[in-house]
Amino acid sequence: MEPGKTSYRAVRAIGVLLILQVIGLVVLGGYEFLQVDWRGIELRGLQHRSVEAAVFALFIPSAVLTLLAALSFLLLHRRGWLLAAAAQGLSLAVCLWLYALFQPGYVYPVMVYCVLMILYLNTRDVRMVFQSRKRHGVPREN
Amino acid sequence: MALLRRFEPVIRSTIGDKFYPMDVEPYVRACSLWVQRPGEQAVCVVRGGKLSLDRLAQQPRDEAGAVHFLKFTDEDDLGPNARGRRLFRRRAIDRIQARQAFKAGRGRLARVGYFSRFVDALYSIALLARGRVPGESAAAASVAYERIMAENEHYRYHGRVVRQDGWIVLQYWLFYPFNDWRSGFFGANDHEADWEKVFVYLSESEEGEVKPEWAGYAAHNYTGDNLRRRWDDPEVDKVGEHPVIYVGAGSHASYYAAGEYLTELPLPLPRPLARVTYAVRSFWKTRLGQYMEDEESGESGYFSIPFVDYARGDGLSVGEGGDKTWDEPRLITDPPPEWVSGYRGLWGLYARDPFEGEDAPAGPMYNRDKSVSRAWYDPVGWAGLDKVPPPPETLQAILEQQADITSRCHALRVEIDVKSRQLKKLGTELAAMRDRSHLDAPYGEASRRVSQLSGEIDRLRSRLAADEAVSESLEEYARRLKGGERDPARAHISRAHRPASEDELKFSRVAEAWAAVSVSLMLISFVGIVMFQREHLISMLVFSIAFFTFVEAGFRGRLIHVISSANVGLAVVATLIIVYEFFWQLVIAAVLVVGLYVLWDNLREIRR
Repeated sequence: MEPGKTSYRAVRAIGVLLILQVIGLVVLGGYEFLQVDWRGIELRGLQHRSVEAAVFALFIPSAVLTLLAALSFLLLHRRGWLLAAAAQGLSLAVCLWLYALFQPGYVYPVMVYCVLMILYLNTRDVRMVFQSRKRHGVPREN
Repeated sequence: MALLRRFEPVIRSTIGDKFYPMDVEPYVRACSLWVQRPGEQAVCVVRGGKLSLDRLAQQPRDEAGAVHFLKFTDEDDLGPNARGRRLFRRRAIDRIQARQAFKAGRGRLARVGYFSRFVDALYSIALLARGRVPGESAAAASVAYERIMAENEHYRYHGRVVRQDGWIVLQYWLFYPFNDWRSGFFGANDHEADWEKVFVYLSESEEGEVKPEWAGYAAHNYTGDNLRRRWDDPEVDKVGEHPVIYVGAGSHASYYAAGEYLTELPLPLPRPLARVTYAVRSFWKTRLGQYMEDEESGESGYFSIPFVDYARGDGLSVGEGGDKTWDEPRLITDPPPEWVSGYRGLWGLYARDPFEGEDAPAGPMYNRDKSVSRAWYDPVGWAGLDKVPPPPETLQAILEQQADITSRCHALRVEIDVKSRQLKKLGTELAAMRDRSHLDAPYGEASRRVSQLSGEIDRLRSRLAADEAVSESLEEYARRLKGGERDPARAHISRAHRPASEDELKFSRVAEAWAAVSVSLMLISFVGIVMFQREHLISMLVFSIAFFTFVEAGFRGRLIHVISSANVGLAVVATLIIVYEFFWQLVIAAVLVVGLYVLWDNLREIRR
């Protein structure tokens, strides 16, 4: 079941926001990598900065998921919501784990963006668009 | 008697059920009578074979806390002697037969969540510690029941006719010698003796003609409005004028439709926690405009213990058009016979179960605590029918209510008139005192009285408006009834007990297997982590809980719910971290935002 025509705008807006998130993650990751003097790394005692940049790679799965979710939203597929929610959850989980280990500076903007996206994805208007299948008498969600 | 026979029910049991409604007389004859005094061993008062219905009622008074009870299954049948061996063999045969006859179908555990399964496991373990009916009792009861039926095969109910509030209530009390729900059908309990009831409510016209209007079937915890169905409700299956009851296998709960009923015992949160949860939920829903899953489903409560009642109706049926016919019913007259009113004890083994599930019930007239049961003294209120007049009296009730409201409206109008005059006089007094500094004190007092009186008149007018609206709707209601229109048959039902749908029963074998092993698997993995992964204890525990939760959600089709709940949890933690790390920056940003907003608002005003 696809979303109704009236909700195309909200759904596409989420798609654009998700693409912005992927771009943001790529830019942030690129910036982190450029900050490291990779040639000067001592392999025996990895510098803190290099580790921070390296662990940014943990965001790759969630970035891929986010990209898929964005494409799903833009193509108006119902599964987009699930992918987007999973991507946000994964990103936040990675952020919290990194925060507990290194507290790298880049986790904060990612956290804020993810929190806002989670709230937006969970708003009643957006959720109702994807509840149509359930309301039409199919009790199972997935 | 004629009325009882005219509307007597047809019972349809489930394949595998071993006990059917029987007469109390041979049951009592087969029982021994015991008394359990506080802190003492149970004492046999009358030995098996010596008891009769008359003798049952003639029990001496006993000290406070003493419990009289019957014992249907013979201890000799359970011992390691010849009879015991026979019984052991018999039990094995019974099990094989039951397994062949009854298939539990797709499982109760797969139908409910993790926590419920965990609570269920605890409940099962608690059975070992609680008082309970011994494992052999069901087989022994089966032997004893078959002995009685071999002497005199019969299917009998106990009938009582009562008049209350304009209704004629036909009470069908069904007595089963044993409830083997737990041992036979994966249910909550076993107990000796089982009293079930089905009531049919008749209205009587002025000419003395009776008409069935409602039926009320007893099932577990259901009471009030949800218990009864209107006679013309399509859910009430009938054979001619005989309502059909689908009997739960082992539990003997009565249902309107054939099927498998998931009976979940909800466990409420403690009150302070429930209040906090309510406040958080309303903030989340109304202030933040967030979606909540139970908005649509109407679900509430956080966990429950699941049991399935198999009321398939594919077994033996008794009554009109059934495999067996009813024998002449045993009448419960008014005043009730001594065996009903004189014996307040339990009708089977007193297992001393603190939850009472394994204790036998008391008779039709009493609760287990010896108080008179509501179904006996108020059968109309028991099914929530006390607020419903019988159809021939409905118009009269409407007219009477309308007359009451009209006279109340009249009184209100008079009161409003008097108070309005008073208010006007006070208003002029107030106007006269305005800008007179020497009258400041009386002016203040008069203003207070004016506002008080004005509020009072406002409330009276609002009541009058509401009463007038009610009176109009009563008039319209009366018009509709006169035109032959009736209320919707199911308007009174807020939570109908319905059998599981085909969709709900579609569990794959993998889901079934997962439901059966998941709780144990999770506990074992926890132990493994604690023993072998102590250095990564927290992260491994979080990972394993997440793993089990997501697999479970996948099987139960609740992935969306779980992901959104997990996201909300993560978002709350992340927000707290951000507030902690950037508290002053956030305060400054908030002040800046407020300042900019005020500036923008003021500039907008100037531009206008």
